[in-house]
Amino acid sequence: MSRIEEVLRYIRRSRRLKISLLLAPPIIFLAIWFYAPFLILGLYSFNMINIYREIVFTPSLEHYTRVLSWTGAINIYLRSLYFAGLTVILCLLIGYPAAYYISFKMKKYKDVFIILFIIPFWVSFLLRTYAMMNLLDERGLLNTMLMSLGAINTPLKIMYTDVAVILVMVYDYLVMMVLPLYANLEKLDRTLLEAASTLGAGPIRTFIKVTLPLSMPGIMAGFLLVFIPAVGEFVVPELVGGPNNYMVGNIIYEIFMGARHWWIGSAFSMLFIAFILSLVIVYIRKIGERGLAL
Amino acid sequence: MSIFLKVFVIMVFIFLYSPIAVMVLFSFNESKSLGVFTNFSLKWYEKILANPHVWSGLYNSLWVAAVVTVVSIILGLMMALVVTRYNFSGRSILESIILIPIIIPEIAEALSLMVMYIFLNIPMGPMTVIIGHIAFDISYVTVVMRARMIGYDKSVEEAARTLGANEFQTFIRITLPMLYPAILASGLLAFTLSFDDLIKTLFTTGPGFRTLPLIIWSSAARGGVSPELNSLSSFALSISFLFAIFRLRAEKGAGR
Amino acid sequence: MMVSRRDVLKIAVAGVLGAAVGGAGGYYSRQVEIDNLKKEVEELSKQIGEVKVKLEPNLNIYNWTYYINKNIIEQWAKENGVSIVYDTFESLDEVVAKLQTGTSGYDVAVVSDSPLRELADLGVLEPIDLKKIPNFKYVPERFKNPYFDPENKYSVIYSYGTTGLGWNNKEVSPEVRAWADVFEVDRHLGRYKGKITMHTDTIETFGAALIYLGKDPSSMRDEDLREAVELLKKQKPYLAGYASTEEYMEGLETGRFLISHAYNGDIAGIIYASDEREITVYKQLEYISYAFPEEGALAWADSFVIPKGAKNIESAHAFINFILDPLVSAICTITVKYPFPTGRDYVPEELKEDPVIFTPDEYLDKLYWTRPFTPEERAKRAEYWLELMAA
Repeated sequence: MSRIEEVLRYIRRSRRLKISLLLAPPIIFLAIWFYAPFLILGLYSFNMINIYREIVFTPSLEHYTRVLSWTGAINIYLRSLYFAGLTVILCLLIGYPAAYYISFKMKKYKDVFIILFIIPFWVSFLLRTYAMMNLLDERGLLNTMLMSLGAINTPLKIMYTDVAVILVMVYDYLVMMVLPLYANLEKLDRTLLEAASTLGAGPIRTFIKVTLPLSMPGIMAGFLLVFIPAVGEFVVPELVGGPNNYMVGNIIYEIFMGARHWWIGSAFSMLFIAFILSLVIVYIRKIGERGLAL
Repeated sequence: MSIFLKVFVIMVFIFLYSPIAVMVLFSFNESKSLGVFTNFSLKWYEKILANPHVWSGLYNSLWVAAVVTVVSIILGLMMALVVTRYNFSGRSILESIILIPIIIPEIAEALSLMVMYIFLNIPMGPMTVIIGHIAFDISYVTVVMRARMIGYDKSVEEAARTLGANEFQTFIRITLPMLYPAILASGLLAFTLSFDDLIKTLFTTGPGFRTLPLIIWSSAARGGVSPELNSLSSFALSISFLFAIFRLRAEKGAGR
Repeated sequence: MMVSRRDVLKIAVAGVLGAAVGGAGGYYSRQVEIDNLKKEVEELSKQIGEVKVKLEPNLNIYNWTYYINKNIIEQWAKENGVSIVYDTFESLDEVVAKLQTGTSGYDVAVVSDSPLRELADLGVLEPIDLKKIPNFKYVPERFKNPYFDPENKYSVIYSYGTTGLGWNNKEVSPEVRAWADVFEVDRHLGRYKGKITMHTDTIETFGAALIYLGKDPSSMRDEDLREAVELLKKQKPYLAGYASTEEYMEGLETGRFLISHAYNGDIAGIIYASDEREITVYKQLEYISYAFPEEGALAWADSFVIPKGAKNIESAHAFINFILDPLVSAICTITVKYPFPTGRDYVPEELKEDPVIFTPDEYLDKLYWTRPFTPEERAKRAEYWLELMAA
């Protein structure tokens, strides 16, 4: 009997060892290539790496206090929250009726329609954004059509404005709202709705008193799934935004790449990540983890 | 009421499909106009397909995505097995470790990775791109696999064991084939995520290494909309669609 | 280095002839130039016979977009058995971010003046061995020993110019002459609302505002920057946006923009028909002009550097030497309409005399050069810039 077999037998018996062996490769990978970078970001943010990229023990909060005093960055941050919030609301206003209709009013072709809904989102994020640029362009089809219909005389200036940024984000993230909502509505107990209507509640009342509260978890999941990527957006404002459309992603880019001040850039990123994580923690505490993992 | 809803939903579908349809349509437009379709023509396609950069970009995207997929599946499967099969203290920590890469905005993730590469003097190139992609694909793979593995029938495995198969044999002969749909589904997702990735690639690539999304990004960011870019994008779109169809079929195959 | 000069000549002559046919007459005057060119090339050919250095098989080059003649570098690569990777960037941020790593993987890059100093101070540049660049002797004195790199330890001049205002002379009147035109509402700024762009580069845009205010464009004093940012905030609602090269080139050409804060060479590139592969000297768009603002402007100089960690140092030197060859430089100038200093004597007269391309020397003296900034100073400017973006 070789030692190898002994070792193998030991592994087989020990549950703990088995778990560790299975977990070690992915966890080590994530630790090195996902979590360690944030550790380094943290070191930069606390002033513990110098310009020659040496770790030094000079901890300080100066970069945090400094970036918090940047009114411009804070204003852009707040505006990003506002843009992302607006995107969420629009996604909800568009996505809820669609999810509701497919889930409640359709019988036979439910699956087909939900897949039809998903198909545009097979196209990558970048291509979707580009496709919208194409349509919204000053010389694009939307403008030529509206002009030839006589609806407008001069081309609409949508590209490079707030409207473009929000419109494109809605287009890009709509599916993230609709899918959890739809899943939620599908699971919703129909007998409750019937009960409400037999008890004399009209359809609108039923919707407000029963359907809407019961679909809250879906709405919340959709909120998170749209809000988080929208706040950190970088590609959309870069491609379709004008000078007023910087968002958090652009601030991070500007400080890291433009000013090349990694310390302040790190502090800002850490604050941003903390904000996102706290949102998620609140969500998990209140609703649980389900719904986030699509 | 219902009719309003119906019209609204139809409009939503128009909103969803028109930008893509217009982009594809105008990629066949003969003139340079973005607003008026003059004549059907393949000239923009001829132009981009004659461009060696497009082909090398496609080639790079494909092989990076292939490597990323294989590694992510292996690592993700390991994690998913643990999460679905064992109960142990520290499980909730593990769940968070898996969830966080999905949650953190990609720009923060990409820049932090770039900072680390520079900090450790790691030259950037295809390898660093691949690592970056895997680092967030693992989580997606784990989540998709876990969703598929819940409710997975353990009795077959147990039967095999009582019939004398050792654990390794059971895994190869029984577990893996049963997990095949889950592996396929998560693998295709991993592939698509990597194939379409822009931000990670943008910050972690090195000399001469450009993927298809990078090529599209740089021309869209610099020159805005153009018929060449329409045809290039439609070309990239057709490839994404191809994989999406595979994915759909895999999902169907996975049943339930 | 001995790219066969015959091939270069072929490209050059074919191009100039092509231009002569394309241009409005003037064939004979050019014929003289072509003859001169031929004679010069023959002269140069006689000098061939230098020791051939063994070159590494690869060369990774990192340069601004649209900044070289692609044909001749491919030719050079073929002749020398070097396989080239030619990557481009669109903003200084990109190249500095890559090079500051010290592991960029590039063997040759082109970097502008003050960021070059920053990189040299960070120790991420390889020293350049001028002995391996015999063509350095053709570099005019004023481009040797620059303030940002004394004694050319790390760099050799590539091209240079100014940042001023490109404008559409058909639609805009009176003519654009000063920064005041784009900063004062009762001048062009108000009249052409929504048709004017400033530069995306913060140094350029702050620089322009500071020059208009009569301050030092490199100033880091809070009161100066405050004044500048207030000025820019007032200007912002009237702008079409902040644009970089490709965007304003396209915008000016199509008329989407009427006045753009721009690099002179980009404007020259629009005025003259130009392409990275063909060499032409006829004017394509007469309606675009370039103004050196009378208050002064920022000057810039792009230089070759060899990034730290470069693996193909011999090839890098050989390549730099090749581009400095007066004839090659001339071809690059004719191609992209940015001035390559060593080639000035060999470009057709109208390009040589065009102030948009070759900034007149006496003007160069009046220009401002930016100084290198420390990370702290850059952060301070970023703070103001973000304030402007938030406004």
